[in-house]
Amino acid sequence: MNVPELQIKNVSKTYTNNNGEEIHALTDVSLDIREGEFICLLGPSGCGKSTLLRIIADLLEPTTGQVSIHGLTPRETRLKQKYGIVFQQPVLYDWRNVRRNVCMPMEIIGVPKSERTARIDRMLNLVGLEKFGLKYPFELSGGMQQRVGIARALALEPEILLMDEPFSALDEFTREKLNEDLLAIWGKTKTTIIFVTHNIPESIFLSDRVVVLSPHPGRVSAVVDIDLPRPRTATLRESPEFYDYIAKIRHSFEGV
Amino acid sequence: MELTRRDRRVVTLVWLGSIIVLWEVLAAVLLFLIQDNMASSKLPFPHDVLITFVGEWRSLLTAGFVTLSRAGLGFAIGGMIGVTLAVVMSLSKIAEKIAFPYLIVSQMIPVLGLAPIIFNIVRDMNMSRIVIAAYITFFPVAVNMLSGFKSVEDEKKELMRSIAANRVDIYLKLMFPYSLPYLFTGLKIAAPMAVTASILVDMLGSKSGIGVRILYSLYSSSFDIFWASVFTSAFMGILSYNIVIFAERLFIPWKNVASKKVGAK
Repeated sequence: MNVPELQIKNVSKTYTNNNGEEIHALTDVSLDIREGEFICLLGPSGCGKSTLLRIIADLLEPTTGQVSIHGLTPRETRLKQKYGIVFQQPVLYDWRNVRRNVCMPMEIIGVPKSERTARIDRMLNLVGLEKFGLKYPFELSGGMQQRVGIARALALEPEILLMDEPFSALDEFTREKLNEDLLAIWGKTKTTIIFVTHNIPESIFLSDRVVVLSPHPGRVSAVVDIDLPRPRTATLRESPEFYDYIAKIRHSFEGV
Repeated sequence: MELTRRDRRVVTLVWLGSIIVLWEVLAAVLLFLIQDNMASSKLPFPHDVLITFVGEWRSLLTAGFVTLSRAGLGFAIGGMIGVTLAVVMSLSKIAEKIAFPYLIVSQMIPVLGLAPIIFNIVRDMNMSRIVIAAYITFFPVAVNMLSGFKSVEDEKKELMRSIAANRVDIYLKLMFPYSLPYLFTGLKIAAPMAVTASILVDMLGSKSGIGVRILYSLYSSSFDIFWASVFTSAFMGILSYNIVIFAERLFIPWKNVASKKVGAK
């Protein structure tokens, strides 16, 4: 019996914008996430998916409601350095090469030097960039930079990997390839992954469950279990079951 | 149309060459055509200046070094003060709001007036050169570095926050390396100004330094030395600027290459 690792209870986020209007970014969101699960937060702009991710990560505070991770608050979890986070832009340091970029979080935490080298090697192997360790970010393509971002996020062996539309800035082909790579990585590390996206096929391909969010106000419209077999391969994208899921999810959006 | 390295060198040489030729022509025009008796003081022949320079090079360079070394020291001190100020202002919005007006006002006083004021207070020639160079340097460095700190993208800071980095780490590992290009912009602005200010202090009555040579040679109508000194000081300004550029290339090797790479995002 999987104990929920992460519990989101009645979380709402409201803020006032520049015009003095109240924006309901999230209203009364409740969700349980199991350990080792791959879950997607899917929705168009303004549905609150990134807001929810940031609340989990303790980068934002909810207006009401609470989040607990194995009984700890987001802040406590963050301070215990249990998160890995990947953004839409790779956010790499131009002044460090790939290896030193991956190393950065470990320096902050104080992982001993010998262990650092071993982990960097493992991470680069995991994302398929073993040969690019000494390259600088500007020498890499967008897809490769994102892979470094993933390697860096995993370097701390986090319990939860938070990904905020990590592949949205890339072209379709690179994105699909990285989807498959990510699943391979997940298969090896078994981290819990919370993945934010606005791409319906991507959300289905990757996850165990898709949380569909609709905007104005931001809310959960549906939670869809994805009963597709693993490991998921490229051919799955063309299967009838896959298309059925796409249709089902498309229809569960409200007010878009 | 992109110019290759070789093209650019050729362009520079042609440019330099034509300036010298134009100059010789103008000097000749002034002397022979217009028959100006004061020609040698207004526009000397380049070859005359060169001959004087070669003849007097030891004393000129020594004088230049005196001024330049003090300016350099002041520049370094001013730079450190500027960086410290930028850090303080970025840590506290209140500090920034309080400090900024004073900073702006500090730069309102023209250098020409500043030099005698500083000399009057400090009363020592060498110290004055250092102080004025520091004074000129700290402002561009502080302002530019603060600008650099402020332009760090939110996501980079969020990343640091997500792994619970402390302030020291955030500054050492993110803010400072990120802002190095901004620091060097400030230094590049300050370098020639610091040298000029230092020369100005010379002229207030020191016994060494290139500014003194300029002044004395002007008053004693030794125009050859005058022009040679002027060119030495111009050379010092250019040298100081190029030293900063060289240092920039050393510390920020990624800067130029990174901006050339297009289409990664």
